[in-house]
Order: sequence, then C-alpha cells, then structure tokens
Amino acid sequence: MARVIEYVYRESVVHSLNPLSKLAWALGVMFLALAFNNVYYLLTLLSTVVAVALLGKVLKDLATVFKGLTVFAGILVLLQVIFFQGEEVLFYLLPGHILPVTGEALYMGLAMAVRMMAVVLSFIIFLATTQYKDIILVLTEKLKLPYDYVFMFMTALRFVPTFMAEAVQVRYAQQVRGCPVDSGNPLQKIKAYATVALPLVLISLKKAERLAIAMETRGYGSGIRTYYKEPAITKLDMMVILSTLIFIVLALFLRMQGYGVVQL
Amino acid sequence: MTAAAEPVVCFKRFSYRYPNTDFYALKDINLTLPKGSFIGFTGPTGAGKTTLIKSINGIIPHVEGGACSGQVLLKGCPTGNLSTAEIGRLVGTVLDDPEAQIICLDVEQELVFGLENYGVPPDEMEQRITTALSSVGISHLRHRSTRSLSGGQKQRLAIAAALALLPEVLVLDEPTSELDPLGTEEVFTVLKQLNVKHGITVLVAEQKTELLARHCDQLVILSQGEVALAGTPREVFKHKSIYHLGVALPQVTELALRLNGGRCHLPITLEEGIEFCRALVPGGGGKLCNRSLT
Amino acid sequence: MQPLIDIKGLSYSYEQGQPALQDINLTIYPGELVALVGQNGAGKTTLVKHCIGLLRPQTGRVTVCGQDAAKTRISHLARQVGFVFQNPDHQIFHDTVQKEVAFGLQNLGLPRDEIEKRVAAALRDVGLQHLAQVYPHRLSRGQRQRVALASVLAMQTRIIILDEPTTGQDSLERLQIMELVRDLNREGHTILFITHDMTLVARYARRVIVLCQGRVIADGSTRDVLSQTQLLAQTLLEPPQITLLANRLNGLLTPGSEVILTVDEMVEHLHKVNGGSIDGPCD
Repeated sequence: MARVIEYVYRESVVHSLNPLSKLAWALGVMFLALAFNNVYYLLTLLSTVVAVALLGKVLKDLATVFKGLTVFAGILVLLQVIFFQGEEVLFYLLPGHILPVTGEALYMGLAMAVRMMAVVLSFIIFLATTQYKDIILVLTEKLKLPYDYVFMFMTALRFVPTFMAEAVQVRYAQQVRGCPVDSGNPLQKIKAYATVALPLVLISLKKAERLAIAMETRGYGSGIRTYYKEPAITKLDMMVILSTLIFIVLALFLRMQGYGVVQL
Repeated sequence: MTAAAEPVVCFKRFSYRYPNTDFYALKDINLTLPKGSFIGFTGPTGAGKTTLIKSINGIIPHVEGGACSGQVLLKGCPTGNLSTAEIGRLVGTVLDDPEAQIICLDVEQELVFGLENYGVPPDEMEQRITTALSSVGISHLRHRSTRSLSGGQKQRLAIAAALALLPEVLVLDEPTSELDPLGTEEVFTVLKQLNVKHGITVLVAEQKTELLARHCDQLVILSQGEVALAGTPREVFKHKSIYHLGVALPQVTELALRLNGGRCHLPITLEEGIEFCRALVPGGGGKLCNRSLT
Repeated sequence: MQPLIDIKGLSYSYEQGQPALQDINLTIYPGELVALVGQNGAGKTTLVKHCIGLLRPQTGRVTVCGQDAAKTRISHLARQVGFVFQNPDHQIFHDTVQKEVAFGLQNLGLPRDEIEKRVAAALRDVGLQHLAQVYPHRLSRGQRQRVALASVLAMQTRIIILDEPTTGQDSLERLQIMELVRDLNREGHTILFITHDMTLVARYARRVIVLCQGRVIADGSTRDVLSQTQLLAQTLLEPPQITLLANRLNGLLTPGSEVILTVDEMVEHLHKVNGGSIDGPCD
C-alpha cells in the first residue's frame, strides 16, 4: 500500500513533462470520465490512460495498484448489481431466483468501475512520474498555493511508509505480550487496535518533534526561497495542455449533442 | 581549555530549565569552545548533553521555550539575539535518529532543501551539493531514494545536508546511537576528516568513549546539568572522580589505571595500550614510561 | 536434553527479493545465555521474530518448547517466550508504569492478586518499584527500557529474547540491564539477546552466534568465537578493545594463552606474566 504513491525513477517522455501539464492531463481525464457514462467511451479513455503509463515506463510498477483497483472495481459492480433494480434479468446470483442480475445494473456497474479506474490511475501516474519537489514547486509557484501547507501535505505523504513500518512494529510488540490482535472476535479486535494506535501516536509525536528540529536548523521558513531546478515548460507541454483543452471542449460538445450517454 | 584559537561557541554562566519542570537541566555552564576543535560531550543519561546541544543550535531558547539565564555566544553574538535560521547558517545539526531527521525522498533533494530555504542562487547550488556529498563520501548515492540507504549512509547524508549550508560548527547529538559498528565507524571517520581537512569545529555528544578518546582534542563530562570535568581525554580519564560519573573508560585506560593507578603516561587508544603493555612486560622493548614518567 | 528452540533449514526473504535468512540451523538448550551478533541487515531481528511466530518460515521449521512456531498462535507462544523489543516506545501506552507491566498478565487472564504480586516483583527486579505510579513517558529511555523488560519478566516465560536491550543507554544503565539479564539466566531463564556491543558480549554471553548476510557464520562459546579474529573482521565486528590488545601483544604474553575477554582477565594475566610486580617499570 505504501509504495503505491511513490515516485518511480525512469527516463521517459512522461517523466520529462512539466508537472503542470501532467496535472492538466489528469484533471482532463477526470472531466472526460465524469462527462460520459457509455462503457465504450470510458473504456477508450481507460486505454489511453494505460497507454500513458506504458509511455512513462511505469506500467509494471503499477501492477499492485492495478490489482487493488480491480478488486475495488469488482465490489463496485457487485454493489450496483445488488442495489440497482433493472428490468432485463440476465441471471440470478443465488439459486431460487434470489438476487437478480439485470443488464442495466451490470452496465452501470461496469461504467462506474471503468470510470473510477481511469481517474485513479491517471492521478497515480502523475504521482509516479513526477518528483515531490516538482509537485511542490508547481503548486506553490505556478498555482500560488501557500508553501507551508503544500510542504506539510507532501511531507505527510513522505512519512506514510515510515508510519506504516512503525505500526507493524507496534503491533508486533503488543502481540508478543499476548494481546489478541489476531483474534477473530470483533470487539476484542477493536480493543486490540487501540493498543496499537496509542503508542503509534506517541511515537509519531516524537518523530514530528525531531523533524521540526531538523527543518528549523536548516533554515525552514527563513525568508526568500530559491529553487534548484525549475522544470521548464516545453513545446510538448504546450501541446499536451492544448490538446487536453481541445478534448474537454469536444467532450462538452458531444455531451450536449447526446453522445456517450446511455439513458437507463 | 586552549586559548590559542578564537572561541566559536562560548557559554557564559548559562542555566536552563525546560517548560513545566522545576529543576535546571543545565546549571551555570561556563565553556569556551575554540574554533577548529573536535570536542566530545559525554555523561550519563539526564546529564544535559542533548540540552547543551540544543542550546548551541538555538532550539533553546527559540523553539523549546522554558527559562534560561546567562548567555550562549556564537562568534561573540548571543543566540537569543539571532533567529534559528541565522544560527543555522553557522551551526549545522545532526540528531540521533537517522529516520526522523531526513526530510526528503531523495538524496539530492535532501541537500537542496536547506539551500532553497536560505535562498542560495541556483547556479551556486550545484557546486555546494557536489562538494558536500563528496566530503562525506556518498557522491555515488546522489540519485538514490533516502529510504534505500543504510543507517550509516543516512547519518552521513544528514551531515552532508548540514555541510551544504557551509557551517563553521557541526553539532551532533549521539549520531551513532542507532547505528551498528560499521555505521559508527563511517560517521566518525567522516567527522575527523571534516575537522582536520576543512577546519570545521565538531561538537559531538556521544556515549562511546573509546571513539571519543581516539578522535577528540577536548572532552567535557557532564553530570546533572553541570560540567563535571573538562580537558584533554587523557586529563579527564586520569581524574579520580571519573569513576563516580557513570562514564565507561576505554578498556586500555581502565587496564592501566587498575595496574598502576595512572602514575605514568595514561594510554587512551589501542596503540597506546600496546605500547603501555610492552613497557610493563619484561623483554617487551617498551620505553614509553621512561620517557614520560609523571 | 530437549532443546527449547530448534531451528531447522530456515530460510526467509522479504517481499523485495534479497534473502534475509538462508538455511539457518540452530538449537538452543535450557539455561543458555546466548548473544546474537552481526551488522544491521544481517538478519538478527528477522531470525528472532521466527521464534515467537511474528514471522512464519518460508522454508524450514522452527520449534519452540516442542511446538511448531508457525502453527501456534502468538498469544499462546507468548506464555513460553518473552520478547523485549529494541524500542520500548513501541509498546508503552498506559498512563502508569504499573498498568503497563500488568497489561501482558491481563492478556494471560491471570487473577488480580496474582497480577499485583507479579507486577510488584518484576518492578523490584528492574529497580523501578518507586516509580510504579509514574507516567512512563516521563522516564528516561533507559528507564522505559526497563519498564518494557519488567512487562516481559512478569509473564514468567521460560525463554526471554531481547533485541538490542542496551541501545541508547549510558554505560551504567547498560551494566544494570546486563546484570539483570545474567541474574535471570541464573534463576533458570533461557536468554537470547541481540547486541552490537562486543564488550557486553565478552562479559556476559556464554555462547555467541554470528550472523552475516543471513547466514550463521560462527556459533560457539564466547571465547572460541571471539578468538576468530579473521572471521569477525569479515563481518566488520570488532572484538572488545582489551581482546584486541591481548591479540596484538600475542608474542609477548605467554605463548598459547587463552583469549582475553575482560579487563579483569587481562590484569590477572599481566600479573602472572610479570610475577606480580606489575607497577615496577613505572615507578
């Protein structure tokens, strides 16, 4: 889980793009995904997202993410099937005409699942091909968000893996004292998790204090900042941003004409 | 202490009490730490080592709060009159936990962090990064993720990150306490080099007295917030009260003290220990004691 | 004698490839006091985690007190094996020292008066009885380490495993902990401890196991292992300074003399060599 949102170092066109254009692309994918509910449109969108991952040479690294998303997608489909009442019954989930699966529900579920995958993947590709520092830089310098908040947010992300590792250690430490973390009883389990959460909070506070000292002694917030390498905006970036805009306008137009929308 | 070099850090009747406590963590400290020296601080837990380090890098009084009296002077200027950022240009800090003090995800960025904060012009950064990395011997790790580093490498990165800001003083709070013997050796070798080659003043709190004996020009032993002993390691180890201060002596020193109560030139390193024993044993060929009888 | 811990053909690798343990075979008998040494990443912690079921062997078998550690619940193994983690903060969360120590016993489902008795005894053993009602995070790191140790002691397990019990502590605290460990061993507990401090190993351990890159490269009595200077150099572990000193003086001391482990031994030895007139040359 922790490695899901990590930067993957590769030499690729996608990596060399300006974070701004990648962010625009991800937002564009989100817009298109929300504009349509036709599965074929959405599948086309998803395949372009996968193509970008391929171009960025990070497809393999996203395998675990893909697996997780597929499970989640499956759950989405199942929920639709159970709760959405359609007319055209295809088959029954359980024998004895229990839980009918309708074509409409299946279609809706699939559309939702594909949409979700396209959106989530595009943002993960953005994170996997863009260094944190460049994200910080673009958010603060170009989008004018306050540096302190952006930095805190990104640092929190940076400490997620550390935090997870600590959580494992704490769980171990409680387990060896006979604490039933691995018990099947849900009530006991909740109680047991409190024994993990408390030390974890205390440890994190201590770590945060160290981090604060480390930042303070290295001039954090001391005045005018400079930036080591500002990612340039190239012709390619302009093209990416421009074509994203064109696609969005096109999508709006198609949508208003009634394309790509299925009425159920 | 030696009066030759100009003092870079100077404690003048400095006392400090943490917030919400009623005892002094440091009591009436008077110390003059000369430029270019390598000084070790040791003493039992709670003796005030960490507090002393924090008083030099400005965390006390600027971040911790609490109450202090007296002064800590950095090149003659009281720390109270400087901001932590200003102090940070002069004093680089390394903490004990290699994990918690690394701020960024990759090695290069860790160095860039401080440089950007201080508004160093971008075209100057390249030079500083290369120099800092090579002086701690991790140039080859420049593009690595910080998480993939060993403990010793992480601590050397922390030192490099401090060095990139061109400090005159490095303060380190038990930088090897979480490291294995290999990592410990890496860190101290680097510190010694920085001290000898680049004239950086190294102030290090450390429990491992064998290391301190080998590397320090001066040793300060703290006890219950006060300076109990100060001087060259040999002078300090020779002192009678050392046994009551909860400081482990290097084994060769302990051996010599046990054998003849420190009446001759006291060995503090392995090499000196060998010479010492040669002089003791008939036919050992040692002539050390004849030379430096006290 | 029936071994308490029996490890056969244990191999283990973490997700990211590199094997952490390779074909480990070890037997630990009742009453032993064993030090496990090696650089970070050598596999020490990974190995001991198998002894209490926190990790399950990928190949091989770990038997603890006759039970297959892979098939026994951790909470059940915890009655046989006490485990003190390197960082006491990973476990401490109660608002008094006493409650912290009692926690494990409550998990065992012991009656109240028994718990009270055991907690008091454990705190006395580690010398913290006067701090029973204090908030643990107000204590020093060394004291918190002893709280963690007490909470394991109170469980009265046959085996006690300590992962770097002296990290971050001053010399006096180190000795206190190790003296306590030795006392526990004398009372019949079998002890396995991980450390980097070879001086403590030389002084307290009776058997030393050296791990290097996931393999056991030496296993034997402390004196035997510490005499293998070449082998230790290969793992970049340095024997205690006094041992190095004795080794370097080798030709000078009586030939064929045993390895020197402590300052006491060295003093004695020099007296022997010098016929008792040790301070002669200096006076």
